[in-house]
This record gives sequence, structure tokens and C-alpha cells, in this order.
Amino acid sequence: MKNKSFSYNLIIYFFAILVFLTMFFPLYGLILTSIQPENVIRSKNITFFPSSIVLYHFKEVLNPNHISQIYEGMRNSFIVSILTGILSILLAFPAAYSLSRLKFPGKNLILISMISVYFLPTILFIIPMFIFLVSYNLDDTILSLVVPYTAFILPFVVWILKTFIDRLPLEVEEAAKIDGCSTIQLLLKIVLPLIRPGLLSAFIFAFILSWVEFLTPLIFTNNLKMSTVALGLFRSTVDIKIGQQAAAAILTLIPVTILMVVFQRYITQVIFSGADK
Amino acid sequence: MINSKSFFYKNKEKILAFLMVLPSLFVIFFTYLYPAIFTFIISFAEFDLIRLSIKKFVGFKNFNYLFSSYFFQGSVIRTIYFGLLICFSTAIISFLISLLLNENFYGKTFLRVVVVLPWAVPSVVSGVLWGQMFHADIGFLNALLFKIGLIQEYKIWLAEPLTALHVIAISEIWKATPFMTLFFLAGLQSLPTDTFEAASVDGANLFQRTYHILIPLMLPIAIPLMLVQFVLAMKAFDTIFVLTRGGPGGGTTTLNYFIYQEAFETFNLGRASAAAYVLLIITFAVVVVPILTRFIFNRYWGNNYEK
Repeated sequence: MKNKSFSYNLIIYFFAILVFLTMFFPLYGLILTSIQPENVIRSKNITFFPSSIVLYHFKEVLNPNHISQIYEGMRNSFIVSILTGILSILLAFPAAYSLSRLKFPGKNLILISMISVYFLPTILFIIPMFIFLVSYNLDDTILSLVVPYTAFILPFVVWILKTFIDRLPLEVEEAAKIDGCSTIQLLLKIVLPLIRPGLLSAFIFAFILSWVEFLTPLIFTNNLKMSTVALGLFRSTVDIKIGQQAAAAILTLIPVTILMVVFQRYITQVIFSGADK
Repeated sequence: MINSKSFFYKNKEKILAFLMVLPSLFVIFFTYLYPAIFTFIISFAEFDLIRLSIKKFVGFKNFNYLFSSYFFQGSVIRTIYFGLLICFSTAIISFLISLLLNENFYGKTFLRVVVVLPWAVPSVVSGVLWGQMFHADIGFLNALLFKIGLIQEYKIWLAEPLTALHVIAISEIWKATPFMTLFFLAGLQSLPTDTFEAASVDGANLFQRTYHILIPLMLPIAIPLMLVQFVLAMKAFDTIFVLTRGGPGGGTTTLNYFIYQEAFETFNLGRASAAAYVLLIITFAVVVVPILTRFIFNRYWGNNYEK
């Protein structure tokens, strides 16, 4: 590194700054907009640093009577995302173990089709689901969001858990089997504690994917009280108050960002377990 | 006669294994397979949304209507252009960023965190964010271009179909870049360095090393990623909905958005289902066929698929 030429360094730092600006500036602009008074936002001057910091955009947007229902939306999104995370893990864990360790006919076919359906256009499945939900009066409920989310995320969660189980040493399970452990006991007492990081990663992914889902709640909910945070954000764009719109965007963003930063290690682990496939 | 007790005993593990997958399969059946069949059926019918039942079967009428509609043809072409634009741009940008992050410089770790950030941004937020950047009155871009004198008056970016489509594409590319960059970076770090050294000793210049060694070595990583990106770009909905709602004049209506409009704005479910099947066929051609080919190839001619 030390004997690299001056022009090399110049090019490297030029591109580093360019990448930094393109990737970070839009986010910074959003933050800036959310904490500045409306008249500063609308002025024609370009400002890179806040002249005065105000928090009333956040206060107004979180007001329960606000048109965009961000407060209700955040609450609903938390409930829905947590339920989706739990439900998808409950369903996926036995399936992942079975697909990873046990032998049965059709296993590879199940695996391949599970991966394939994840890429299919969601809208294809939403039309009949919508008809189904409406005809049984199930639209506008928590259930009408949790069940489709779980289904859409399930293949992904199964795949995450499977890669974690694949990596466990077989010897532990074999030893337990010799000691007379049944498959169910093996699953609950040996495998479950060993793949705790896997469960956490799967939960985080399920939570994030449910939190950001937009199309499903858009179609399956009409009642403002059932709004999710992403829908609430969209409603704030109908309004012309730019500051509040930015504040709503930040509020939608924050939980996901916090999870990503705190659990970065788990998330990269999941990504790179896919990279060696 | 089969002795049922011994049959179960012999296949105990297989049955248990299947039982464990069953709940997931059940959910997947009811959310993927059953709806897919249902959509397939109503794509040949007229659906009565008030009585929630099929009014009558119309054969290929929905498909005929679609294929003779210029608007539909336009949206198919637009979707493919949009998908290709996003997957190629994202791949090129990500590859360049990963090359940069593979070098040593001060602040590299920090830059890597910054590059990953947009990935955490929900696509609705990405739409709002770029909407504000390209906003006609308060947008940063207008202000900047006006200041440096490139434009004489503020431009309404989202009012022109082609420009609007590219604004949406920018928002999608910005969001997709981190994921691909991480994969490319992992790929670059696993490359054998001695190959490059050998080539360098043999007198290959930077361009030759990149063209003859680096790119061929990276292609196996890049192609699947680009396929995935193409499919995800075709599924793009949130950004279109937030930024343009398919407008102006249908200029940003991709196939996915077209289906949404047919189904939930004009409530023509039969036609929407037919269009959904067209989208499915395109997706199938792009993703499932390569996966299956690889699977079958490995199964019958390869030897390193099963451990």
C-alpha cells in the first residue's frame, strides 16, 4: 500500500468519495428534510447543514389523528411482523430439519420448488387470496396480513434454518440417538439450542420483510385503523407537507435500520451462506 | 397383504420426515399452488366481483384482448427494458464498487457500512426519498442543476414518461446495489491471487488481467445475481406506486403494475389473471428454467451436487 503511486491514491479516494456521496447523500437529505422547518425546506437555497433543528414534523406525524396514521401503523406493523416471525419459524423449523437431515422421497423436488416459488410474482397469488378473504369477510384483520406474509416468507425462512442445521456437526445428533433420544427429543433438546443464531437470523429476516411489505396491506386492508407503517408512509405522500413526509419515512426506516446495524453479523452470515452455494 | 404395522415401522423415519415438512407444504399449497390454479382458471373467464363467482368462461378472450392491446404490449416491452436496465446497471455499479472496496485505503470499513445502508431502506421509503430528490419544487437535483446553470428553470422530472421511468430505475438501482456489492466482494476475496501474479509476471497489463482473468472468474457469481435482480425488478411495485402511480400516460406502467391496475382499479380480474400468467411465464423463463437445467444437469451428469 505504501509504495502505491500518488495518481493511484488520487483515483481511489476520488471514487471512494463519489461512492460515499451517491449512496449516502439521499439518506442524509431525507434526515435533513425531516428536521428542518417547512419554509427552509421550500427555500431555493441549497443547504447541506441544518440551520435550525425542529422535531415538530415527527410530533405531528405521530399524532393519532394525523391523516397518515403512522402511530397506528407502527403499532400494527410491530404486531404483524412479530407474529409473522414467530409463526414462520414454528412452521419452518421442523421442515428445515427434515429437509436437512432426514431422507425421504421427493425431498429435492420440495427444496427446489420452495426456492422457485419465492421468486414468482406476488400479485399472481394476491388476486385469489383477495377473493377468498373478501368472501369470508376476513379482510381488514391482523390475520389477513400475518398469514400471507408468513406464506411469502416461509420458503426463505426454511432455507435460512436449513443452512444453519446443515452446518451442525452430525456427531452430536448421532451420539444422542445412540443414547436413545427420539427424533422429537433430538429436535427440541439438541438441535433447537444449537441453532439459536439461526433462529435469530430467521426471525430478523421475517420481521424486516414483513415490516417493509407494501402490496399485501395495500390490497387486503381498507380501514385506516388497520394501516401498516408502509401504508401510512404512502398516505403521507398524498399530503403536500414535505417535512412530515420525510419524518414518516424516517420512522418507517428506523426499526429496520436498528435491526440491521445491531444484528449485522447474523445478516451477513445468512447472505454469505448463500454465496458458497 | 401388507402388514401395516411393519410397513410403518420400516418407514418410520421417512413418514416422520414427511410429517415435519407437511405443515409448511400445507401453507405453501394454500398460498401458492391453490391461488396459482385459481388464477389460471379465471384467466379464461369473466369474474363477477359482486357475487364473487365466475360469470362465464370466455376461452382465450382475455389473452386475445391483451395481445392485441398496444398498452399491454407497451408495458411488456417496458418491463423487459426496465428489468434489463436495472440488472445490468446494478451489476456494473456493484462490480466497480466491490473493486474499490477490495483495495486498501483509509475509511474503507466506514465506506462499506455506508454502501450497505440503502439495503436497509424499505422500497416505499426509497420511493419517497427519490421522489423528494427529484421533486419539482424542493428537489435537490433541480436546485443543484439550476445553481450550476445547467437548467434555466426547474424541471418537472416525473411529468415526462421516459424520465419518470428512469427516476424509478435509479431508485431501484440505488436500493439493489448493496446486496450485489456484498456478493461481488465476497467473490473477489475468494479469488486466487497467484493467478493474477502469474499473469502479471507474464506481462499482462491491467486491462488484460481484468478482461481475461477477473471477468471470467466473476461471471459464475454475476449471472445468477443478475437473473435474480431481473426478476426482482420485474416485481417492482412500491416505488412505481409511490412515485408515479404508473403515469404519466401509462409511461411507467410495468407488467406488474398493469396487473394491479386491472385487478384492483378497474376490477377486471379475468384480464388481470391472464396478464399475471404472462408475467409468470416470463419469470419462469428467466429463473426456473436455468435452476432446473442446472439441477437436472448435476443430477445426471455431475457428481458434486449431493455430498
